[in-house]
Amino acid sequence: MEDWARMPPQTARAMNETLLTYVADYGVAALALSCFLSCLLIPIPSSLMMLTGGAFAASGDLVAWQVIGAAWGGAVLGDQTGYQIGRHNADRLDRLAKNSAQRQKMLQNARELVARRGGLGVFFSTWAVAPLGPWVNFIAGAVGLGWRRFTVWDTLGEAIWVFGYTGLGYVFATNLTLIGELAEQVSGLVAAATVTLVLLILIVRRLQKGPGND
Amino acid sequence: MIAKLTAVWRQNRLLVSAFLLALGVTVFFGGKLVLSTIYWADPAHRNQPIEGWMTLRYVAHSWNLRPNAIDSALDLPLDQRWGRISLERLADDRGVPVESLIAKLEHLTQTRPPHGRLGPDAPADGPRDE
Repeated sequence: MEDWARMPPQTARAMNETLLTYVADYGVAALALSCFLSCLLIPIPSSLMMLTGGAFAASGDLVAWQVIGAAWGGAVLGDQTGYQIGRHNADRLDRLAKNSAQRQKMLQNARELVARRGGLGVFFSTWAVAPLGPWVNFIAGAVGLGWRRFTVWDTLGEAIWVFGYTGLGYVFATNLTLIGELAEQVSGLVAAATVTLVLLILIVRRLQKGPGND
Repeated sequence: MIAKLTAVWRQNRLLVSAFLLALGVTVFFGGKLVLSTIYWADPAHRNQPIEGWMTLRYVAHSWNLRPNAIDSALDLPLDQRWGRISLERLADDRGVPVESLIAKLEHLTQTRPPHGRLGPDAPADGPRDE
């Protein structure tokens, strides 16, 4: 399944078309399932499917609130599953770090960072840096971000993701091909720019601390 | 300044490499977006083809077609009218290639004048008493 990204465009397009056919034939169930799976690192173009769901709501084939509910529910459940997987494997991190002072320090730093900023990290990973979302869920569970905090930020973030894509699909229903490609490129740009900005902030902070303060 | 930058690089090789990589990807996506925006600015490039994943309602909605015109063009039996079903599956059910359905619909979009009323509730073809 992970070879999708490396497929020739023709094949990837055929795959996408098959998935979109599922939205027509199976309705909101197909949407919920695809959002669920895409939160668990399974490369399904759920954003494209949400656009289509929104467009079908505009044409009268689906009901808008059901489209939003299904996508939102699927995504939140998928994130919860990822979080629980991380949580159940939390002791592996301790075992990995057991014999190395450096690793223990890294783990400690990671836990402190997540304790301070974890909520915001989860929030942005659901929409601004969506490709990192599944990883952030695993990490949040593994390093012990509180469940309630995770759930609140995650549910809010997924709402932006779901409303954004289904809303675009609804409004631009008549030109779905264009809006699909546009949304893909804009989301890629936003994700890359966010990562760049975060790394820049880290570098500037180190600069301010001065050399040798690592 | 340069000495400071070199020092930063030496102490944070991983971080700086990651930053440069991310910057490169950002520029790449930005460039791609600019190119496609130029491409899409031309209305001729915005024509969406009819495809197998679309439903009849979606086709009617997007091409502003009169539902009855679609019914008669595809010669749809009553029980297959306007259910939520993809053209792909509709073609399967009827044992015809999806391309033939698409060709009929494409023909319709080119020959029928657009019409303002949408959805299956639109009035029937033919002269109306008003």
